[in-house]
Amino acid sequence: MTKFLNLLAAGLTSGAIYAIFAACVTLWYRVSNLLNFAVGDFAMIGAIGTALLVQDQHLPFAVAVIIVLVAVALIGWLFDVGVLHYALDRSTRGARVVAVFFYTFGLSLVLEGIARAIFGTDVYAAPPIWGGPASQVLDFHIQHAGVLTIALAVIVGLALWAYLRFTVSGKAVAACGESSLGARIVGISSGVLRRRIFILTAVLAALFGVVESPVTGFVYNSGPSISLIGVVAAGFAAYNKPGRAVLAGLGIGVIEALLGGYVSTQYNDVILYAALFVIIIMRPEILGLGAESDLAGVTV
Amino acid sequence: MTSALEVAGVSVSYGKFIAVETATLHMAPGECVALVGPNGHGKSSLVNAIAGTIKRGGQVTAFGKQIPARSTKAAVAAGLVLVPERRHLYPKLSVRDNILLGGFSKTRRLRASRAWDDVSDVVDMFPELKKLLRQDAGTLSGGQQQMVALARGLAARPRLLILDEPCLGLAEAVTERLYGWMEEITRTDLAILLVEENPVRALDVCDRMVRIYNGVIAEGVDEAAFPGHTGVEVTS
Repeated sequence: MTKFLNLLAAGLTSGAIYAIFAACVTLWYRVSNLLNFAVGDFAMIGAIGTALLVQDQHLPFAVAVIIVLVAVALIGWLFDVGVLHYALDRSTRGARVVAVFFYTFGLSLVLEGIARAIFGTDVYAAPPIWGGPASQVLDFHIQHAGVLTIALAVIVGLALWAYLRFTVSGKAVAACGESSLGARIVGISSGVLRRRIFILTAVLAALFGVVESPVTGFVYNSGPSISLIGVVAAGFAAYNKPGRAVLAGLGIGVIEALLGGYVSTQYNDVILYAALFVIIIMRPEILGLGAESDLAGVTV
Repeated sequence: MTSALEVAGVSVSYGKFIAVETATLHMAPGECVALVGPNGHGKSSLVNAIAGTIKRGGQVTAFGKQIPARSTKAAVAAGLVLVPERRHLYPKLSVRDNILLGGFSKTRRLRASRAWDDVSDVVDMFPELKKLLRQDAGTLSGGQQQMVALARGLAARPRLLILDEPCLGLAEAVTERLYGWMEEITRTDLAILLVEENPVRALDVCDRMVRIYNGVIAEGVDEAAFPGHTGVEVTS
């Protein structure tokens, strides 16, 4: 029983990490119909950037975090204004299959290259926000960073769910993804919303990287695998409901931990890629196949 | 009194193809104008250019306010609202949310429940929608979807409503009901620009008619085409 609970706790911790990235991917997909493959790289920049500013520049932790988050917001803004705006807003709709992956995948590669040049290949972790050894409750080890990770995941998941469900602006986000012309004719600036959400999710991912880095550590190329898990978990929520994406992320984490504990950790990647196949088979529209074309509008 | 719509020298081209050539159009407040012409002759291009959804040249002024090209936001703020061809609803959002977002330009900072209070009166015009509010818009029939699109347009509180082929692809009975509804709102002080392929039907509700042919707004009445409507004024 103790083993089970400890595995469960570990699973929930790694699941919470997946959950946040899944929620970020989902929210941005909702507004833009694009998958963000760079979300993990923002987390990497957040974690390593903070670690370096604290260790090498001896800045206070809070200042370092703020500098890094502003930098990430700036990167997000530049990417949208310099790339997505020209690629999406100015042209007539291009090949969707390419657009869904291509731009953020490219961003991920660029960020990875820059990170390698600046950060090198060492493993970094930002200083823990809540330090000290793991607490012991009964027979049960509780990692402080894990508790923070789960708490943050739950808060972010609830906040995004409430935003989409209860605010006009949140519904406008959904409307942009459903029909961009339909959104524009009621006065919604889909480009502006897309940019705001991209920056918001980039900053969230970076913040989350800072919080969870004491658990996992970060290298310059940690980003893509995190992004992939986020994209897969988001797929279980049909790229539609960030709240459900959080649950999917937690679920994947728990299954992974239980299988690792009772069977073998070798199967972790197998599970992930198997899940990816299931999603692609069940939801081909994310590849632009059979998706509702905006030009055709809504016909039943 | 400022005019509802002043269109001066508006052109639309797609690459080398010119869809609309220096169109000029004038509408008085509360007026109901039909824009007719064969398929593919620039009707939709013209109204989309006016509403700011596509690139254009020329000037558009609604209720004294300049509408820059490609700015639907400015158009909606001035009271010019487009109900586009094929509706362009948000299929996976509920009917209620679809209508609620019509008021986006005024309610963007509000909670959804407050925003709904602001626009829910438009549903009174479409009693049929009342039981469908929770259903996803994509699951409705074509006629019901057109009602949602109209309700969403009205939720924006327009002073000039542009209806682009509202009856396209709808059954005859549904079309008749939509026309009944349009007759009703033409009695209010809302100005309407109605795009129709069928001029005879359009004249049931409109005060006058503007023809567009090969992207050019045509002068003179084609008597043979519209017998019995010789009194109709056609602007150039």
